Amino acid sequence: MTGSQSSLRGANRALVVETVKRYGGLTQVELTAATGLSPATVSSIVKELLAAGVVDTRGTIRSGRRAQLVTIARSTGLAAGVDVGPRHLRVALADVTREIVAEQSLPLPAEHRADTTLDRATLLVVDLLERVGATLDDLVGLGVGLPAPVEPGTGLVTVRGVLRGWDETPVVHVLAKRLAKPVLVDNEANLGALAESRFGAARGYQDVVYVSVGAGTGAGIVLSGHLHRGFGGTAGEIGHVQVDPQGRICRCGSRGCLDTVVGYPALVEPLVVSHGTLTLRDVVQRAADGDPGCRQVVADAGAVIGGVVAGMAMVVNPQCVVVGGELAATGEVLVQPMREAIARRVPLNQIVALDVVPGELGVRASVLGALAMVLEATDQAAATGSADMADPSDVAGGDAG
Amino acid sequence: MTDATRVPLLSMRGISKRFGGVEALAGVDLDVHRHEVVALVGDNGAGKSTLAKMVAGVLTPDTGLVEIEGVPVSIPTPAAAHALGVATVFQDLALCDNLDVTSNLFLGRELRDARGVRDDERMEQVARQILRDLTSRIPSVRVPLAHLSAGQRQSVAIARTLIGSPRIVVLDEPTAALSVAQTAEVLMHIEGLRDLGLGVVLISHNMTDVRSVADRIEVLRHGRNNGSFDARTTGYERILGAITGAVRADLGVPPVAAAS
Repeated sequence: MTGSQSSLRGANRALVVETVKRYGGLTQVELTAATGLSPATVSSIVKELLAAGVVDTRGTIRSGRRAQLVTIARSTGLAAGVDVGPRHLRVALADVTREIVAEQSLPLPAEHRADTTLDRATLLVVDLLERVGATLDDLVGLGVGLPAPVEPGTGLVTVRGVLRGWDETPVVHVLAKRLAKPVLVDNEANLGALAESRFGAARGYQDVVYVSVGAGTGAGIVLSGHLHRGFGGTAGEIGHVQVDPQGRICRCGSRGCLDTVVGYPALVEPLVVSHGTLTLRDVVQRAADGDPGCRQVVADAGAVIGGVVAGMAMVVNPQCVVVGGELAATGEVLVQPMREAIARRVPLNQIVALDVVPGELGVRASVLGALAMVLEATDQAAATGSADMADPSDVAGGDAG
Repeated sequence: MTDATRVPLLSMRGISKRFGGVEALAGVDLDVHRHEVVALVGDNGAGKSTLAKMVAGVLTPDTGLVEIEGVPVSIPTPAAAHALGVATVFQDLALCDNLDVTSNLFLGRELRDARGVRDDERMEQVARQILRDLTSRIPSVRVPLAHLSAGQRQSVAIARTLIGSPRIVVLDEPTAALSVAQTAEVLMHIEGLRDLGLGVVLISHNMTDVRSVADRIEVLRHGRNNGSFDARTTGYERILGAITGAVRADLGVPPVAAAS
């Protein structure tokens, strides 16, 4: 076989794998239509990928005819990650090799309610399982991120009022009852910290502070490679550090918290006269597009947050600060003023300067962290219990051969 | 964005419509700005779909003024609506079961090449591109509509609105009878339309869906406006109050609702 033919073959193989991932599961006929390859090529590539353990096939019925459904091969079970944001729900499924097999976002109403949101989250998990040709039996566990400090055992929000309408909801119990699977719940900034330190911008660092800037601000702390949650799960709740002693009363009951100065209503309010009523997404999009007013608001927020993070950096002494969350999509508009504010107030280390970097995982950081949390818990259970799930790296299906 | 100083994309003033003895609409006002999702909510028979059909050119108002970007217009036919940049997804989707996905997308506005011959290849390319942009899960653009699921058919109906770069998109109950995953895709798509700077009119019974993506919620009750609410700051109770008539815009806010 000549070089160009084999590289064409490789490209076609990659196209088939890419397409199967995109649609979850499809028949060979559908694969032919979706890739534009010939039926013979698709058939022989599927055979190859099947032999290499990259895809699975099984019988199904399409339009009343028998057909072969092609799905991505999964290694013993799937984990589900759910990120509940102030205005979005993100759900993703991954197998034990950390490969994301399905993902879906859903907009949420302002002040969404625990019962409706958890119901939608559960149904979305089930829908996504169906999309990849799996069932609830394949689910090994569910990880959930909430935009509030939570008690890990029950999933109860530990500070009253910060997540309106969720105060009395034991998220772990509600979801475990619905799905009959292990459920782990954590704060979204903690999960973002976990994800960025495992496969994002803080890979290879031992001590990391992750700052999530969006409708509210939160931080996650990784110490010596382990997530530090604190005794009550409130470690890193910098959104409730006081920055303005004469400021407004916060949802948590204190006065002048960081969230009242750079949180959701505070960020859009200064723009009402010049820009009309904007959503947070509008501000982010316009700041990224170069709108001077929106850039000003985001930059000022960065400077204030940087001041608080500087105090945190003094206490924790991290190797790097990773900036994530919705506002981080503005890139250096947010990160540069944060970096300056931190540099001004952290005079410490002459030898190794503190890195302040944008996150690599974007708004997906928390949902990826939720998946990592579940899979790490599953790995531990496998390591201490049955040995058959022990080393997931052996069965990685990345190389199609 | 609800910037009152700018000229609305779509402005309807004093719209009335009678069907014999039925007064479907009586002096209804509706404004839609660019970059804005306006939800039209109300009980059955409140006049939501009638209003949508006027924007789509299916019905014409008996009285009232319709302006698009400040220019008074009349929309006598669906073709006129299309020419004015209005795209509509009807509740019953209005698709042809026997035709394939591409034919449905381009129905009535088929692309033609320089010689005036129907350009099937280009239509298929565009169809594939649009469905890809929508992250819809329709693997083949050649499959007849009859073979698609409810969610996939909804995707096709929505994809149809993207042909011909519209300015205003009207969606009548786009999430009724869809699974949560399919609803998620439709709502993400509505956010996408808004980000593109389009004006979107969303008609829905589902208050969660409405409050998830709308900027402004306009309540219709018995063919009349019964309140306009900021979707970000107004709770379910106020909106439901307006829909059910517990709160009447013409009578002012009753003491109970004012206290809450």
